[in-house]
Amino acid sequence: MTDPKQPNLTEPEAIERAKQGDESAFEVLYHLHKRRVYSLCLRMVSNPTQAEDLTQEAFMQLFRKVGTFRGESAFSTWLHRMTVNVVLMHLRKKGLPLVSLDETIESDEETQRKDLGGDDLRLTGSLDRLQLQRAIDRLPPGYKTVFVLHDVEGFEHNEIANLVGCSIGNSKSQLHKARLKLRDYLKSMRAEKAKNG
Amino acid sequence: MKCNEVQRVLPEMLEGGQNGEFLAHVEACPACGELVSDLKTISVAAAGLAESAEPAPRVWVNIAAQLRSEGLIREPESQPAGPVLVPDRRRWSAWWLAPVAAALVVAGSYVINHRPLPQVANQPPANQPPALTVPVSKEAPDASVQAKNQQPATNRKPPSTAASSGDEQAFSAPTETVSLDDQQFLDQVSGRSATMKATYESHLRSVNSYIRDAEAYLKRNPADEDARRHLMEAYEQKAMLYQMALDHVQ
Repeated sequence: MTDPKQPNLTEPEAIERAKQGDESAFEVLYHLHKRRVYSLCLRMVSNPTQAEDLTQEAFMQLFRKVGTFRGESAFSTWLHRMTVNVVLMHLRKKGLPLVSLDETIESDEETQRKDLGGDDLRLTGSLDRLQLQRAIDRLPPGYKTVFVLHDVEGFEHNEIANLVGCSIGNSKSQLHKARLKLRDYLKSMRAEKAKNG
Repeated sequence: MKCNEVQRVLPEMLEGGQNGEFLAHVEACPACGELVSDLKTISVAAAGLAESAEPAPRVWVNIAAQLRSEGLIREPESQPAGPVLVPDRRRWSAWWLAPVAAALVVAGSYVINHRPLPQVANQPPANQPPALTVPVSKEAPDASVQAKNQQPATNRKPPSTAASSGDEQAFSAPTETVSLDDQQFLDQVSGRSATMKATYESHLRSVNSYIRDAEAYLKRNPADEDARRHLMEAYEQKAMLYQMALDHVQ
């Protein structure tokens, strides 16, 4: 989506002009990346107002440092990492655990119990985005962080481990447990919906 | 492979691991097959959430205001920069910053008064602006500066202290809007360009008006923390204006 009021700048042009303090260049960069940044923040904190504040902070950090960007990585990657750090800093300040300390795999009984429910509650085929978002919002903070970073934002486990300060094994374990929990939530939502007609 | 063994290796398998026994069991076992399928569905669906939301327009408005307040936006030479007088309630939370902001005003005035004029073109401006007949302001910060502009800023009493001690002179309702020090400041700026002087004069009038309003409100509501914050922001705006002019004349 392009804003008719924005100058017709490519991203590299906007970056160079932003280094010179060009306001329109800042605005171009903002509009190019605002959805990705905001969506990430919203997934992590589940609060639109907080997500907007974090979006603002992420872009301000970006714009303060734009003069140091040398192009070794993609600009979007640089911004993405910066956003994650802003969000994680926010979560740390709130005292929320970024990753659960529990690395144990669930017992066979717990896992098998989840499989009960019948064919009408299978998730395969289609998945309502709104239901999935609601389920993600219900995840414990540690699970949510790893799940959002990996499955939604596409970070690899070694990157997640560096960002949140855990081991790669822990990151994989948290992701697996997050997915299992989401499956539970989604099945219970579907069961509730089926029950209510 | 049994179901419990599938559970154990499932995280690795979902990350791209290859295991013939695992695949064979998943194909044969409805429960494990459904589990694997569901987890893959969730992972794929999650990827589609990456850019599904957009922030409110106020986010860019706030960013633009903050970029200006931090001086990260540089205006073209033909349009001298001016501050955006947009108070941000979240910026100030410490009362002690008021004397710091006021000290910036003093320091800016001191440096400008003692800095040699930059070499300007020999030809005078084609249109000299009309001479300003601006009497001295009774505003507390500038009155203190006028009396002590040769002394370090730390000796200066913060204007808020003057306010709280009931100094009526600090809160008189002046009719003029540009003090003697402001006038000296403008004269220095005008050495650069008449257009810049007009711009800064306009901004000075606005920020002085802002300071007056904040002081008057604080006098009526001395316990109002928001009023104190606004007054601090007003001093900060004026300090920024001086600093921007300093940057231009350097």
